[in-house]
Amino acid sequence: MQADFYIQCKGISIGYKDRSTTSVVVKKDISLHANRGEMVALIGGNGIGKSTLLKTIAGFMPPLAGELLVRNRPLSGFPAVELAQEMSFVSTDIVRVANLTVRELVGLGRFPYTNWFGQLTDNDQMIIDRAILLTGLTGFENRPINRISDGERQRAMIARALAQDTRVMVLDEPTAFLDISNKYEIVRILHQLVLEQDKCIIFSTHDLNTSLTMADRIWLMLEDRVVEGIPEEMASSGYFEALFPNNQHLSFDLEKDDFRIKKEIYGKVNLVASGEKLIMAKKALERLGFEVFPNLPVTQSLSPSVSPSSIPSVPPSLYLEIIQQPEGWNIVCQGITQYVTTLEELCRSIKNISTQQGS
Amino acid sequence: MKLFRNSTIGFVLLMGVLVFLFLLDLLSGSVHISLYQSISTLFHSSSSDPQIAAILFQFRIPKAITAVLAGAALSVAGLQMQTIFRNPVAGPDILGISSGASLGVALFVLSAGWVYGGTPLFSLAGSWSIVLAAWFGAGLMMFLVVILASRLRDLMTVLILGILISGAIMAIVSVMQYFSSESTLKSFIVWTMGSLGSTTRDQLWVLVPSVAAGLLIALVSAKFLDAFLLGENYAKSMGMNIRLAYLLTFASTSILAGSITAFCGPIGFVGIIVPHLARKLFHSPLHSKLIPATMLMGAIVMVVGDLISQLPGYATTLPINSVTSLLGIPVVVWIIFQHKKIGAI
Repeated sequence: MQADFYIQCKGISIGYKDRSTTSVVVKKDISLHANRGEMVALIGGNGIGKSTLLKTIAGFMPPLAGELLVRNRPLSGFPAVELAQEMSFVSTDIVRVANLTVRELVGLGRFPYTNWFGQLTDNDQMIIDRAILLTGLTGFENRPINRISDGERQRAMIARALAQDTRVMVLDEPTAFLDISNKYEIVRILHQLVLEQDKCIIFSTHDLNTSLTMADRIWLMLEDRVVEGIPEEMASSGYFEALFPNNQHLSFDLEKDDFRIKKEIYGKVNLVASGEKLIMAKKALERLGFEVFPNLPVTQSLSPSVSPSSIPSVPPSLYLEIIQQPEGWNIVCQGITQYVTTLEELCRSIKNISTQQGS
Repeated sequence: MKLFRNSTIGFVLLMGVLVFLFLLDLLSGSVHISLYQSISTLFHSSSSDPQIAAILFQFRIPKAITAVLAGAALSVAGLQMQTIFRNPVAGPDILGISSGASLGVALFVLSAGWVYGGTPLFSLAGSWSIVLAAWFGAGLMMFLVVILASRLRDLMTVLILGILISGAIMAIVSVMQYFSSESTLKSFIVWTMGSLGSTTRDQLWVLVPSVAAGLLIALVSAKFLDAFLLGENYAKSMGMNIRLAYLLTFASTSILAGSITAFCGPIGFVGIIVPHLARKLFHSPLHSKLIPATMLMGAIVMVVGDLISQLPGYATTLPINSVTSLLGIPVVVWIIFQHKKIGAI
């Protein structure tokens, strides 16, 4: 089946033009595409050129080389109004116009369709109503946009783009500065728009987890190249490790779809427990820098260097056994057993042990 | 303050206030004219006292009309500048547009001395030449400010920039005065003392069409200005022709601020404060509403300023610029404090 290309970048270079002669190339040889009915997440480190790429696609700055096609037509060939009917844009700028109501803001999205005086027809009003409904802003229509929360304002900006009634929507970090609940709400709205209206939505984000679980396609900007693919392939390809090449403390966790901070390993633990307690204690111990091996045979080892042969021996070789009791935990370290009642106390004791061992 | 929820009522009310103040302005002055006398003179000019008719037709009506025009023009120029620079303290005087107009006039008047040996200042052709010179000067300054100030979102930086630009222009004008002859210098000084009352009936034939043209351009660019509220990038992404939009506001502000400066001299602060009053009263940032509101409010504020400047009971009038400055500066300080928190218009 032939894919319905909405955006195609064919070996484009992006960057700024300083005066007419010199140009600063931010990134070159970018070949990407986005199809109809796709949600595309653009991922990359800070300062790698995500905004520049999005601004280039939105037509604010021309590509310095290569070909940029919007629905199989060169972007540069679009008259301004026609492009505005194909593609809308939501930037990171916070718009704080006093007294501008949500409805008036959304109404501005009708700009490419209204007459010289910007009069809204009944059809325009209907489209505005729909945009407000889809972004869950019903009831907020008459609130001024500088008196609503960041999440609501971001939804209002999306509603404005929606009122522009375009096939392609480009959003620059729509979830930045938002709390988790608002972040998910924004991504959910975008996802719904893709599913129900067959739009092509391209957004940049730092939130790997949401993009890998919700996006149809990932554009990944690395130091030396730009790659794309479906989320599952991208995650297993090892590209994400290349995202932050200079940071040894990060590792990509394929199962959790996210990065984790690598911790220094202080020692190993044989954790004898079950059920919820096992899960909680395992997490706590991992947080404290221990490798956890659940439910091995208890050896009550007398020396820190002696650990069961089933555990691979990795230095440092602090070895503990923690055994769940009916009311609390037994910590066995170098033959000495310590009893604690709560998980919090357990953590404190473990910390003490690892500090002593360290010194 | 949401005074006018229904904007039609607001417009009608303001219009009424303006008509009332306009009539009051006709009645006030050093020579006492009663309401009955003025109405009978206005409508049966043949049967009335020729002296009163002369005062009304030669002085008071032109002055009141000039006040209305000046208020509307400067305020609408200020509104457009605040929108395109997205800065609440932008205005034709603060950003040096009025100074630019003065520079244009100075260049014209002082150089006319060398070219013609005299100044054709008070003829109709002279009026048009002065207005053109003012437009040119204002436009040039607007161009400079657009290049500099559009990159500065910060309120204080723009204020400092305006002070610097005005300072530079004053310096240039002083240097020119130093090198000009006595007679041309005199006509320039007379011009700088210009006031609402110095506009003659003949000059109104230049001022009225100029201001009307400027206001008309502002009205037809309301949609562009609305898009500018969200910033240039959003405006572009909605398909706005940025160049046309800039050109229109450019032309409108230069014509409006230039024409008024050419005939009335510099009048400060009206251009900054009136748009804020209009926003407060009409509770909307959209220009289809805001431009007419600003026009009416500006006219009202200027007629009030003119009434105050006549100092009831005294034969002399205060310079209008002093009145607007004394009234305007506290309001500007208030605007600055308000926007420290909010950030933008």
